[in-house]
Amino acid sequence: MSGTKLLMTFPVTATSHTLADYRARGGYRALEKALNQMKPEEVTREVTASGVLGHGGAAFPVGRKWAVVKLNDGQPHYLCCNADEGEPGTFKDRWILEHDPHLLLESMLIASYALGVRHSFVYIRGEFDLPYRRLAGAVEEAYEAGYFGERILGTDFACDVVVYRGAGSYVCGEASGLITSIEGKKGYPRNRPPRLTVHGLYQRPTVVNNVETLANVAGIIARGADAYKKVGTPKSPGTQLVSISGHINRPGVYEVEYGYPLAKFLYEDCGGILGARALKALIPGGISTKVLTGAEAESLIYDHASFAKAGSSLGSGGMIVIAEGTCMVRLLQVMLRFYHHESCGQCTPCRDGMGWLHRIIDRIVAGEGVPEDIERMQAISRANDGTTICGMGDAAGYATVAILEKFRDEFDYWIAHKRSRCDGRLEVPGHA
Amino acid sequence: MLELFIDGKPVRAEKNETVLQAAVANGISIPYFCWHPRLSVPGNCRICLVEVEDEKGGNWTDIACNMPVAEGMRVLTDSDAVRAHRKAMLQLILLNHPVDCGICDKAGECALQDYHYEYSGLRSVSRDAKVRATKFHPLSERIVLDNERCILCSRCVRFTHEISKSHALGIQERGDHSLVRAVEDGRFDADPYSDNVIDLCPVGALLSRSFLYKARVWYLQATPSVCPGCERGCTVQIWHRKPEWHLSALDPRQNTAIARVTPLENPNVNGPWICNKGRDLARIFERPRAEQAMLTGVPTELSAATAAARRLVAAAKRPVALVSSWGSNEELAAFKAHLGGRFASFVKQDCRPAPGEPLEDDLLIRPDKNPNTAGARKLFGDAAPAFRNDTDLVLVWGEGFDFARLPRGAKTIVLDAYAHPDNARADVFLPVSIQTERQGHYTNFAGVVSAFEPCFPKRASVADAERLFVSLAAAVEALA
Amino acid sequence: MKHLIAEFEALKTRFPPGSDSSLVLPCLRRIQEERGYIAEADIDGLVDYLGVPRIQIEEVLSFYTQFRRKPIGRWHLQVCHNVSCSMRGAEPILDHLARKLGVAPGQTTPDGRFTLSTVECLGSCGTAPVVVVNDAYHENTSIEQLDAFLRSLK
Repeated sequence: MSGTKLLMTFPVTATSHTLADYRARGGYRALEKALNQMKPEEVTREVTASGVLGHGGAAFPVGRKWAVVKLNDGQPHYLCCNADEGEPGTFKDRWILEHDPHLLLESMLIASYALGVRHSFVYIRGEFDLPYRRLAGAVEEAYEAGYFGERILGTDFACDVVVYRGAGSYVCGEASGLITSIEGKKGYPRNRPPRLTVHGLYQRPTVVNNVETLANVAGIIARGADAYKKVGTPKSPGTQLVSISGHINRPGVYEVEYGYPLAKFLYEDCGGILGARALKALIPGGISTKVLTGAEAESLIYDHASFAKAGSSLGSGGMIVIAEGTCMVRLLQVMLRFYHHESCGQCTPCRDGMGWLHRIIDRIVAGEGVPEDIERMQAISRANDGTTICGMGDAAGYATVAILEKFRDEFDYWIAHKRSRCDGRLEVPGHA
Repeated sequence: MLELFIDGKPVRAEKNETVLQAAVANGISIPYFCWHPRLSVPGNCRICLVEVEDEKGGNWTDIACNMPVAEGMRVLTDSDAVRAHRKAMLQLILLNHPVDCGICDKAGECALQDYHYEYSGLRSVSRDAKVRATKFHPLSERIVLDNERCILCSRCVRFTHEISKSHALGIQERGDHSLVRAVEDGRFDADPYSDNVIDLCPVGALLSRSFLYKARVWYLQATPSVCPGCERGCTVQIWHRKPEWHLSALDPRQNTAIARVTPLENPNVNGPWICNKGRDLARIFERPRAEQAMLTGVPTELSAATAAARRLVAAAKRPVALVSSWGSNEELAAFKAHLGGRFASFVKQDCRPAPGEPLEDDLLIRPDKNPNTAGARKLFGDAAPAFRNDTDLVLVWGEGFDFARLPRGAKTIVLDAYAHPDNARADVFLPVSIQTERQGHYTNFAGVVSAFEPCFPKRASVADAERLFVSLAAAVEALA
Repeated sequence: MKHLIAEFEALKTRFPPGSDSSLVLPCLRRIQEERGYIAEADIDGLVDYLGVPRIQIEEVLSFYTQFRRKPIGRWHLQVCHNVSCSMRGAEPILDHLARKLGVAPGQTTPDGRFTLSTVECLGSCGTAPVVVVNDAYHENTSIEQLDAFLRSLK
């Protein structure tokens, strides 16, 4: 069953998200251990030693990010949990918010302790309803139980948490856009330098971590870094919550141990492709990761190195399964419409480039494409590579280039024949 | 200080500078739209991208405006990668930019035009219609905004947040539907520095209504001058038609009109800004002029009037002079030298603040609305004007005198540039030239002396006050 | 919005000191929860209460898709048409609702009951297709289920 579990270790019930249930499965003991037995620096060292990587998409070593924050520098530090989960295909942080919110809160308390944070935030996308209510409920339970506020567990440690609701903007899932949104403004991402760990929220040292990333912290402290490293692979310790959707028989959230064979995951754990169709393509980790052909995907091991070697990445773990017969031109059209809609508009390449890409693909789909359009899309993607304020421009470019490269014939066909080679279909018939 | 290399050339820079600042300080040109030396760094236009050499072989590129200098760093501003990048950025900026050059006021002083010709020159490769947006959007009563031309550099927005502090501009919406807009409560109309955004705008998106369609910028020349609107004495450029672009067929007044006024950058006084009053100098300088000398309202030749004035000066026993705070240092010195001995002289503050005019602020605006009170007081002290019972001659130089205050029985000589009904009440009225018709200097409230140059010729029937003072004293000196 | 100030003051207690600007989004959301949209007087009131420049609030209202300055229909039907939902039938659902209600996406029915919108990924791809009605996620939905839901509203 997709390997060892670190997070999805209990059956989901009507009460598994409550404080009582969480305590019953050992909750808040890691916090006790951290506050009573460890110094803040020791917590960071343990997290670093575990080798845990970020689970929001960038896979940056968590301990290395934390270590930039200098303790006792006389200024406030902030921790922001990124629960914006806007990357299409991704819905795994939601599992934690709905079913194990206290795990996140305990982990945030431990992280706040390690980082000298007095005020922490969970930035949760505005559209989330149940995840928000569960999280907000857990926050109130935690405050009542004395896990937030002053003198936590009888120590000098004090911490507050604010659940900050977004209002409909994908770029607020970018760490600096998230911070600017918490400041009460438009979610405009920022240039680096300075790093957010030096000048972040209100220009103070700020750590932004994904929900799942933080959710791993309590376990690392409870059971130790060595225990964590025993799971997964040497370069990819631990597990990933994978959200799988699209043309798959059993969509949902699965915890996959790094190193697990992808084909096994798709065909055994998730029940295989709808209508027993062949796997045409796989978007591995949210639409901002490069698409893999079915053949490429089936040979992969689920870990960072394997996917990097294949020219893609694990991303946010948002896997989208694409069955044979799906029109890749229409798929790209949906993606480019999304990027165009979500571009914040600050920087030239993304602002003008996303609109241009969208207009070109719309024109191709309308039967007015020309062969140069493909080169043009590739050039626009190149113009967004490493030239933008945030990663959205690059991501859109990479995603576009990968689809054009691997499914070029479909685009050539549409341009030449003014229609899809696959009847423009995105659904598998009979399985909508 | 540290040393880096830009295109192989060693350059010294402060430790906290960026590569762009170091380049600008050393005369190395890197294109930019959104960067401005006086505003925060948004890094959004992406055209200042440069390449940095890495000994290990992995050269990297990034925007120069946000790139900290480092000891020994090797920056390339003209490599193949940088050139390709600039072309790509210009293509993207021009993607939706309407090629309005033929009807756009900014043509000839437009950074986008200049960079396009220097770095690209390529035709558009887009087959798709340009994104449309509002044209002629009334951003304020003074400024019109063309959103299609706007490249969203945010300079105007940042100006209102960081410099004028009116917080009056913002960018609405997102993506390529973003629009610069003024706050809806009309605050931008009340920002006395609003028009600086017109200078800041690198393209023809923000335009002055008063200058709209008046002239192509290459028809105009800019003459350095000093704004007389207050004692700050901001240095300005007064733009007017070059002689070779004078219009022969139309109203000749077009050829001696002020087309527009812009700041003359001055690190000692106003930096790169002026307030809106300075933009409106035509409202001051182009008021109806007094062009005819008069004797108690009867028009006469300038020479006759001068002679009459001379006789009055020679005959006066207790003459009082009200000296203009709009006089140049040169004129004031001439008065002092030739008539100062004869007259009990007081400095008159010609202009009072108009109702509703901003009085003073933290930026440029000062309460004394006269350009050379300091220069005048240096010569004539700061006592308030006072008449005595035996004052028998009052010489009023400049505006702002209430004739009702004249002592009974005193004769009057009035020197003024502008038509006022009271001019006809003077025993002798002598029309004089204004600042734009001669050379001179003003001293501002902090003692900084700034120069102005002439823009237009003066009429023959109008005198230069400086020469008039010599002339009026001739009789006195003859007597002595 | 003045009657909400006590609530806003309570919110402030968990925020860091001096971060009044951060209250903009939560206050706007709360105001919109009650009124259904943000009115001019609400903006003025918030400017007074938080001391932020009015332009900041105007920008925020135009940038985020969830804020609106005009009322919409009683029932806001938001159809996700991003990748996974499109792969599980979002487009026929959107067409069906548009035809049934007689409005195009972005419009409100003349009787003011329904507003139809398209939205991007809602973070619910595993239960695609998804339609959000006001705040509630209708997951694993279908034309039949939505028709039944609409009938239930009568």
